[in-house]
Amino acid sequence: MTARHLRRGLAGGTVALVLLATQALASPAFAATHPDDGSDSGPGLSVLQTILIFVGIPAGLFVLIALLVTAPSIARGPRYRPGLGWWAAPVWFNGPDDADSAVRSASATAGGGGASARW
Amino acid sequence: MPAGDAFSARQQDEVVRAIRLAQQQSQLPVSVYVGTLEGDSRAAALTLHGALGEGAARTVLVAVDPGARRVEVVTGPEVRRRLDDRAAGLAAMTMTSAFQGGDLAGGIASGVLSLAEHAHVPPSLHTDTPE
Repeated sequence: MTARHLRRGLAGGTVALVLLATQALASPAFAATHPDDGSDSGPGLSVLQTILIFVGIPAGLFVLIALLVTAPSIARGPRYRPGLGWWAAPVWFNGPDDADSAVRSASATAGGGGASARW
Repeated sequence: MPAGDAFSARQQDEVVRAIRLAQQQSQLPVSVYVGTLEGDSRAAALTLHGALGEGAARTVLVAVDPGARRVEVVTGPEVRRRLDDRAAGLAAMTMTSAFQGGDLAGGIASGVLSLAEHAHVPPSLHTDTPE
Protein backbone atom coordinates (compact mmCIF):
# COMPACT_ATOMS: atom_id res chain seq x y z
CA MET A 1 0.00 0.00 0.00
CA THR A 2 1.48 3.27 -1.02
CA ALA A 3 1.23 6.52 0.88
CA ARG A 4 -1.21 7.86 -1.70
CA HIS A 5 -3.59 4.97 -1.12
CA LEU A 6 -3.40 5.49 2.63
CA ARG A 7 -4.23 9.19 2.33
CA ARG A 8 -7.17 8.49 0.03
CA GLY A 9 -8.55 5.91 2.46
CA LEU A 10 -8.26 8.36 5.36
CA ALA A 11 -10.11 11.09 3.44
CA GLY A 12 -12.93 8.73 2.56
CA GLY A 13 -13.24 7.60 6.16
CA THR A 14 -13.42 11.15 7.46
CA VAL A 15 -16.20 12.08 5.03
CA ALA A 16 -18.25 9.04 6.03
CA LEU A 17 -17.77 9.80 9.74
CA VAL A 18 -18.86 13.44 9.36
CA LEU A 19 -21.95 12.40 7.40
CA LEU A 20 -22.92 9.86 10.05
CA ALA A 21 -22.40 12.34 12.89
CA THR A 22 -24.58 14.95 11.19
CA GLN A 23 -27.33 12.42 10.74
CA ALA A 24 -27.14 11.38 14.37
CA LEU A 25 -27.23 14.99 15.68
CA ALA A 26 -30.26 15.82 13.51
CA SER A 27 -32.35 12.85 14.64
CA PRO A 28 -35.50 13.45 16.81
CA ALA A 29 -34.14 11.22 19.54
CA PHE A 30 -31.11 13.45 19.92
CA ALA A 31 -33.28 16.59 20.01
CA ALA A 32 -35.37 15.20 22.90
CA THR A 33 -32.36 14.72 25.15
CA HIS A 34 -30.29 17.71 24.00
CA PRO A 35 -32.39 20.93 23.68
CA ASP A 36 -31.07 23.61 21.33
CA ASP A 37 -29.47 26.74 22.67
CA GLY A 38 -32.22 29.22 23.47
CA SER A 39 -35.09 26.70 23.67
CA ASP A 40 -35.08 27.27 27.43
CA SER A 41 -35.73 31.00 27.87
CA GLY A 42 -34.59 31.13 31.48
CA PRO A 43 -35.67 33.79 33.98
CA GLY A 44 -36.99 37.04 32.41
CA LEU A 45 -35.39 40.47 32.80
CA SER A 46 -36.72 42.76 35.48
CA VAL A 47 -38.17 46.13 34.46
CA LEU A 48 -35.08 47.89 35.74
CA GLN A 49 -32.75 45.64 33.74
CA THR A 50 -34.86 46.08 30.62
CA ILE A 51 -34.75 49.85 30.90
CA LEU A 52 -31.04 49.80 31.63
CA ILE A 53 -30.21 47.65 28.62
CA PHE A 54 -32.61 49.01 26.01
CA VAL A 55 -32.70 52.68 27.06
CA GLY A 56 -29.66 53.26 29.23
CA ILE A 57 -27.00 51.86 26.92
CA PRO A 58 -28.27 53.61 23.72
CA ALA A 59 -28.69 56.88 25.59
CA GLY A 60 -25.22 56.50 27.06
CA LEU A 61 -23.73 55.86 23.65
CA PHE A 62 -25.60 58.86 22.25
CA VAL A 63 -24.18 61.14 24.94
CA LEU A 64 -20.68 59.70 24.51
CA ILE A 65 -20.64 60.21 20.74
CA ALA A 66 -22.09 63.70 21.05
CA LEU A 67 -19.36 64.57 23.56
CA LEU A 68 -16.66 63.17 21.30
CA VAL A 69 -17.95 65.27 18.42
CA THR A 70 -18.23 68.55 20.32
CA ALA A 71 -15.19 68.19 22.57
CA PRO A 72 -12.61 69.61 20.12
CA SER A 73 -14.59 72.79 19.44
CA ILE A 74 -15.28 73.28 23.17
CA ALA A 75 -11.58 72.92 23.85
CA ARG A 76 -10.73 75.36 21.06
CA GLY A 77 -12.92 78.04 22.56
CA PRO A 78 -15.46 80.34 20.94
CA ARG A 79 -15.21 80.60 17.22
CA TYR A 80 -16.08 83.49 14.97
CA ARG A 81 -18.66 82.66 12.32
CA PRO A 82 -19.15 85.20 9.53
CA GLY A 83 -22.71 86.47 9.39
CA LEU A 84 -23.67 85.53 12.95
CA GLY A 85 -22.75 88.89 14.44
CA TRP A 86 -20.31 89.84 17.15
CA TRP A 87 -21.05 90.50 20.81
CA ALA A 88 -17.68 90.17 22.45
CA ALA A 89 -16.16 93.13 24.23
CA PRO A 90 -13.67 95.12 22.12
CA VAL A 91 -10.05 94.04 22.31
CA TRP A 92 -7.16 96.36 21.63
CA PHE A 93 -3.70 94.89 21.29
CA ASN A 94 -0.88 97.37 21.70
CA GLY A 95 -3.43 100.14 22.25
CA PRO A 96 -3.45 103.13 24.61
CA ASP A 97 -3.46 102.37 28.33
CA ASP A 98 -6.75 104.09 29.00
CA ALA A 99 -8.56 103.39 25.76
CA ASP A 100 -11.90 105.02 26.63
CA SER A 101 -10.58 108.45 27.55
CA ALA A 102 -7.94 108.30 24.81
CA VAL A 103 -10.62 107.73 22.18
CA ARG A 104 -12.88 110.43 23.64
CA SER A 105 -10.16 113.07 23.48
CA ALA A 106 -8.66 111.87 20.21
CA SER A 107 -8.80 113.63 16.89
CA ALA A 108 -8.82 111.65 13.68
CA THR A 109 -5.44 111.09 12.09
CA ALA A 110 -4.86 113.34 9.11
CA GLY A 111 -2.44 112.70 6.27
CA GLY A 112 -2.28 109.00 6.91
CA GLY A 113 -2.94 106.23 4.48
CA GLY A 114 -4.03 102.65 4.53
CA ALA A 115 -6.72 100.48 3.07
CA SER A 116 -10.23 99.29 3.68
CA ALA A 117 -11.76 95.95 2.90
CA ARG A 118 -14.90 94.01 3.66
CA TRP A 119 -15.81 90.39 3.56
CA MET B 1 -20.34 83.93 19.10
CA PRO B 2 -21.20 83.98 22.79
CA ALA B 3 -20.82 87.20 24.71
CA GLY B 4 -17.51 87.29 26.54
CA ASP B 5 -13.93 87.08 25.48
CA ALA B 6 -13.29 87.60 21.81
CA PHE B 7 -10.30 85.28 21.73
CA SER B 8 -9.13 82.24 23.58
CA ALA B 9 -5.75 82.42 25.26
CA ARG B 10 -4.08 80.63 22.38
CA GLN B 11 -5.65 82.92 19.77
CA GLN B 12 -4.60 85.95 21.78
CA ASP B 13 -1.10 84.55 21.88
CA GLU B 14 -1.10 84.16 18.11
CA VAL B 15 -1.94 87.85 17.58
CA VAL B 16 0.51 89.06 20.20
CA ARG B 17 3.29 86.99 18.67
CA ALA B 18 2.62 88.43 15.20
CA ILE B 19 2.71 91.99 16.58
CA ARG B 20 5.98 91.27 18.36
CA LEU B 21 7.49 89.77 15.21
CA ALA B 22 6.53 92.87 13.22
CA GLN B 23 8.24 95.04 15.82
CA GLN B 24 11.38 92.91 15.88
CA GLN B 25 11.83 92.24 12.19
CA SER B 26 10.72 95.51 10.64
CA GLN B 27 10.61 97.93 13.58
CA LEU B 28 6.96 98.34 12.66
CA PRO B 29 4.71 99.22 15.60
CA VAL B 30 1.34 97.62 14.92
CA SER B 31 -1.80 98.10 16.98
CA VAL B 32 -4.76 95.77 16.51
CA TYR B 33 -8.30 96.69 17.48
CA VAL B 34 -11.10 94.13 17.29
CA GLY B 35 -14.55 95.48 18.01
CA THR B 36 -17.33 97.62 16.70
CA LEU B 37 -16.48 100.61 14.54
CA GLU B 38 -19.38 102.98 15.19
CA GLY B 39 -20.81 104.90 12.26
CA ASP B 40 -18.51 105.31 9.29
CA SER B 41 -15.92 102.60 9.81
CA ARG B 42 -13.09 104.55 8.17
CA ALA B 43 -13.72 107.64 10.30
CA ALA B 44 -13.96 105.49 13.42
CA ALA B 45 -10.67 103.79 12.59
CA LEU B 46 -8.97 107.14 12.00
CA THR B 47 -10.17 108.32 15.43
CA LEU B 48 -8.85 105.14 17.03
CA HIS B 49 -5.53 105.72 15.29
CA GLY B 50 -5.46 109.27 16.62
CA ALA B 51 -6.06 107.89 20.12
CA LEU B 52 -2.73 106.07 19.95
CA GLY B 53 -1.12 109.31 21.08
CA GLU B 54 2.45 110.36 20.45
CA GLY B 55 3.50 107.30 18.51
CA ALA B 56 0.46 107.41 16.22
CA ALA B 57 2.34 108.82 13.23
CA ARG B 58 4.74 105.89 13.31
CA THR B 59 2.11 103.23 14.08
CA VAL B 60 -0.07 101.08 11.86
CA LEU B 61 -3.55 100.41 13.18
CA VAL B 62 -5.46 97.35 12.07
CA ALA B 63 -9.13 97.78 13.03
CA VAL B 64 -11.42 94.81 12.54
CA ASP B 65 -15.18 94.94 12.97
CA PRO B 66 -16.30 91.30 12.84
CA GLY B 67 -19.98 92.23 13.17
CA ALA B 68 -20.04 94.65 10.24
CA ARG B 69 -17.41 92.55 8.42
CA ARG B 70 -15.06 95.44 7.84
CA VAL B 71 -11.34 95.76 8.20
CA GLU B 72 -9.49 99.08 8.15
CA VAL B 73 -5.75 99.51 7.96
CA VAL B 74 -4.62 103.00 9.00
CA THR B 75 -1.03 104.09 8.53
CA GLY B 76 0.26 107.21 10.22
CA PRO B 77 1.78 110.00 8.08
CA GLU B 78 5.31 108.90 8.97
CA VAL B 79 4.90 105.18 8.58
CA ARG B 80 3.13 105.71 5.28
CA ARG B 81 6.48 106.36 3.64
CA ARG B 82 7.62 102.89 4.71
CA LEU B 83 4.36 101.13 4.03
CA ASP B 84 2.42 102.23 0.97
CA ASP B 85 -1.30 101.81 0.49
CA ARG B 86 -0.83 98.88 -1.86
CA ALA B 87 0.91 96.89 0.85
CA ALA B 88 -1.87 97.87 3.26
CA GLY B 89 -4.46 96.71 0.73
CA LEU B 90 -2.66 93.41 0.29
CA ALA B 91 -2.64 92.85 4.05
CA ALA B 92 -6.34 93.72 4.20
CA MET B 93 -7.07 91.16 1.51
CA THR B 94 -4.99 88.53 3.31
CA MET B 95 -7.08 89.14 6.38
CA THR B 96 -10.48 89.12 4.71
CA SER B 97 -9.82 85.82 2.97
CA ALA B 98 -9.08 84.22 6.35
CA PHE B 99 -12.04 85.95 7.99
CA GLN B 100 -14.38 84.49 5.39
CA GLY B 101 -13.36 81.08 6.63
CA GLY B 102 -14.07 82.11 10.21
CA ASP B 103 -10.44 82.35 11.28
CA LEU B 104 -10.32 85.70 13.02
CA ALA B 105 -7.11 85.40 15.03
CA GLY B 106 -5.22 83.61 12.27
CA GLY B 107 -6.30 86.23 9.73
CA ILE B 108 -5.16 89.08 11.93
CA ALA B 109 -1.83 87.38 12.56
CA SER B 110 -1.12 86.78 8.89
CA GLY B 111 -2.26 90.32 8.05
CA VAL B 112 0.14 91.81 10.58
CA LEU B 113 2.95 89.63 9.27
CA SER B 114 2.15 90.72 5.72
CA LEU B 115 2.40 94.35 6.82
CA ALA B 116 5.75 93.67 8.45
CA GLU B 117 7.03 91.88 5.39
CA HIS B 118 6.24 94.78 3.08
CA ALA B 119 7.45 97.57 5.31
CA HIS B 120 10.70 99.14 4.25
CA VAL B 121 13.05 98.76 7.14
CA PRO B 122 14.81 102.03 7.90
CA PRO B 123 18.55 101.59 7.43
CA SER B 124 20.24 101.43 10.78
CA LEU B 125 23.21 103.77 10.72
CA HIS B 126 26.53 103.27 12.44
CA THR B 127 26.17 99.55 12.81
CA ASP B 128 28.07 98.49 9.69
CA THR B 129 31.51 97.14 10.25
CA PRO B 130 33.82 98.25 7.42
CA GLU B 131 35.71 95.44 5.79
